[in-house]
Amino acid sequence: MFGKGLLKGLSITWHNCFGKAVTEQYPERKPNLPPSSHGCLFLEKDKCIACGLCSKACPNNVITIESERGEDKKRKLTGYRVKLGQCLFCGLCVESCPKDALHWRPDFEHACYRHEDTEHDLFAGSEAEVRKGA
Amino acid sequence: MAMEGIFTGIAASMRELLAGAPPWLENLSMGFLYLVGVLAFIFLNALYLIYLERKISAYMQQRIGPNRLGPHGLLQSVADAVKLLGKEDIIPRGADKWVFLIAPILIFIPATMLYAVIPFGKGMIAADLNIGVFYFLAVASTTTIAILMGGWSSNNKYTLLGSMRSVAQMVSYEIPLTFSVLGVVMLAGSLQTSQIVMAQEKVWYVLLQPVAFIIFFIAATAEVNRAPFDLVEGEQELIAGPYTEYTGMRFALFYSSEYANLVSVSALAVTLFLGGWHGPWLPSWLWFVIKLYIMIFIFMWVRWTFPRIRIDHLLSFNWKVLLPLSLANILVTGVGIKIYQLLTLGRW
Repeated sequence: MFGKGLLKGLSITWHNCFGKAVTEQYPERKPNLPPSSHGCLFLEKDKCIACGLCSKACPNNVITIESERGEDKKRKLTGYRVKLGQCLFCGLCVESCPKDALHWRPDFEHACYRHEDTEHDLFAGSEAEVRKGA
Repeated sequence: MAMEGIFTGIAASMRELLAGAPPWLENLSMGFLYLVGVLAFIFLNALYLIYLERKISAYMQQRIGPNRLGPHGLLQSVADAVKLLGKEDIIPRGADKWVFLIAPILIFIPATMLYAVIPFGKGMIAADLNIGVFYFLAVASTTTIAILMGGWSSNNKYTLLGSMRSVAQMVSYEIPLTFSVLGVVMLAGSLQTSQIVMAQEKVWYVLLQPVAFIIFFIAATAEVNRAPFDLVEGEQELIAGPYTEYTGMRFALFYSSEYANLVSVSALAVTLFLGGWHGPWLPSWLWFVIKLYIMIFIFMWVRWTFPRIRIDHLLSFNWKVLLPLSLANILVTGVGIKIYQLLTLGRW
């Protein structure tokens, strides 16, 4: 029949019109991202040996590592800063870590008001981030 | 019913107030009152039809649509209008300045004039002309001039192409539009809109003239430049068609005139085919508004369902399908009227 396709199209949009929205209602409902999503870097300080491979692997040089030699001549981590403003979220740093100390976390809400706040201090850890968020 | 007489009551009290005044003053101030009423109706509708359009398109695409500003996003179009008011008013260097400036104002003149012959309710008609339908179609066709002015004066190839398309499209589709209305006029025996509404007290003309209604609907969609006939401003090809170079409030005037025209063709469809303001229990003007919004919903439904058709298909569809069909409809209606007369009156 001529016009059958037109009627079919109209019925599809009619049913959509009264159906449920399939889009994610983001600010009201947080998305459930997989745990390996490239959202935010997370460092396990105890595992880190301050070898600096992550900062060498970074194509944009966003990672700055500070370390000192302890009494047993081993490197000890004293600072780990990531300039997230220039980060590509490529994950080469996570892949390069020999001790599996650097991970991804799915937190993605990095919006902030000042440029200085884009630099995250992973050594200071979660306490600093909580303070910033509040 | 108290609700029934709200608007006619306002007009009557205004007349009473001017009882002793000379007739020209009374006519002038009543005309002014009608104008204010029509303009308020147009702008409120245009503002909220933009919101409705966005909401309906969102629901049809399984989204939610504007929901940030005000409850359910109801203030969204107000915010958009305020934003557009604050925009810089740019006139392109190569533009024909005066034509460019006048076009967006000019487009509102026919859009406002159309409402003079629309019966909004029982006794709610600004000017009950005896050639009401003819007046409507004649004034509606002048909208093309303003669009052509805007497109020509912008001195831009996209605007020129868009306005040329609008002329081709609107002039072509006016013919089946007029012919489809003729069937209704033949049945009612009058061009006066109030008479046509009165004639539909028992049966709506959409039942007697279904083919004419479909032709009217398709042609009206093309007349108001809505998808699937929105070639005039097909954004993938022509950016915004004739409105490309317009900014700020001038663009908003063009944009809201589209919605004013949408309301006016829907109002004409309600008047001619859907029984006008006739309906039980509720006040007549409320019935009119309900039918009007059902009609507008169908226009939006079609817009968000069908893709745009090609320009050569658009014109060949008009000349090869709609025009013969509307002529055949006139013939069948005429023969039908004669047979009906023969059966009921016993003579031609």
